[in-house]
Amino acid sequence: MTSEAKFHPTAEQLGGFARGTLTAGMDVVISAHVELCADCRSRIGSLEAEAAAEMLQAVPETRPVNKDFSSMIDSIVNHAQTQADEQTSDPVTEIHMLEHSVRLPKVLAKVASEGLVWKKLAGGINQASVTLDDQTQCEFLYMKPGSQVPVHKHQGSEVTLVLDGSFSDESGHYKQSDFVVRTANDMHQPASEEGCLCFAVLDSPLTFTKGLARLLNPLIRYRFRRATAAASH
Amino acid sequence: MSSAVKSDTPAGAPRTSAAATAACNPDSDESLLVAVGNHQDRAAFNLLFTRFSNRIYAMGMKLTRNEQLSHDLVQEAMLTVWQKAPLYDLDRGTAQSWIFTLTRNRCFDILRKMKRQPATVSADDIWPQEGDGDSQLVHEEEGTMEVEVSKIESFYGGLPAAQRAVIEQIYIHDRTHEEAAAVLDIPLGTLKSRLRLGVGKLRQMVGTE
Ligand SMILES: [Zn+2]
Repeated sequence: MTSEAKFHPTAEQLGGFARGTLTAGMDVVISAHVELCADCRSRIGSLEAEAAAEMLQAVPETRPVNKDFSSMIDSIVNHAQTQADEQTSDPVTEIHMLEHSVRLPKVLAKVASEGLVWKKLAGGINQASVTLDDQTQCEFLYMKPGSQVPVHKHQGSEVTLVLDGSFSDESGHYKQSDFVVRTANDMHQPASEEGCLCFAVLDSPLTFTKGLARLLNPLIRYRFRRATAAASH
Repeated sequence: MSSAVKSDTPAGAPRTSAAATAACNPDSDESLLVAVGNHQDRAAFNLLFTRFSNRIYAMGMKLTRNEQLSHDLVQEAMLTVWQKAPLYDLDRGTAQSWIFTLTRNRCFDILRKMKRQPATVSADDIWPQEGDGDSQLVHEEEGTMEVEVSKIESFYGGLPAAQRAVIEQIYIHDRTHEEAAAVLDIPLGTLKSRLRLGVGKLRQMVGTE
């Protein structure tokens, strides 16, 4: 887990992460990258300080403390303070892929600990969807060595974090801890020679653009709707 | 431990007894937070409450646009301030930054509960608090320090004054972490991180001897 990332979240994404204004899916994938990336980790502190100044801007002094609040203080100070040595239990940190196990960033280990259901897609891709909120589709993707995703276009944006192995597309080669951002109407065709485990967050369904793969489109939309419907039941 | 180390004590290092409590500066949020964390100081907490409750409410309105949720957010955020004040680390940021991050986290959890979203992840999974899981490390290092202390005396002077002051309280005056934090008038969280850094540096120096 020490490889240096070459691709990072945008300044806007990191800022939103610090402010807490993103979707849970986006928060999770950025958190996982930040755990793997010392560069981004070192930026979070100052982004949080900026966010603090912006979000906790002093309210005009003339405004009195809300009178409901005064009764709140009494109930608060009757709670015990935290013991600094409080220990939390160790969650699962590994995911067992077809032939080996991969150590996951903490937040993804938590996500995976609920149990993953893998489905086979075309082109040597395995997918395990997880539902984190009602606006994104999140999934672990495992590309077998030599696999290729059909050419597709995005209606919204797609973020892919490489957890193990590597993949390539027209614009680059991505290795562990790389954070790959694709925005609306970018077309790309990822392929993996050595095999690759990723976590991907999509804020709208993919559209396949070439050949027989286009037949998959209704299915992809269906899967997206179902995943998001499950979140808001 | 020898007197050679003692004579090396920085001039500015506090020498008050563990029972003494330093005067709290009511104009400094950080100072108030230390008083809350080290002495459960209710007057200091009242001041922090007065200073932050309306601002937390306003932040809640920005993020949730809901009066009831924003009110709940004030309650939960200020309760967290009270309970977790000992974990605040003043080497990592201002009191405002710390209060902001815990408010952001409580807000994330409140919103998810309200929208009945899956409880797979909580704010504390997404924004892990530095220092949450490393108290074990400090204890482990303490155990081995006893043995190696004679070797490290000569390196002791090379540490930053703040780290030396913490090590002196723990290893020379043999105080508990809580007592040392009170004497130095720093949060327990800060004491632990300075201790970890100082001990780590000493070990490094011993290793490269
Ligand atoms: Zn990064």
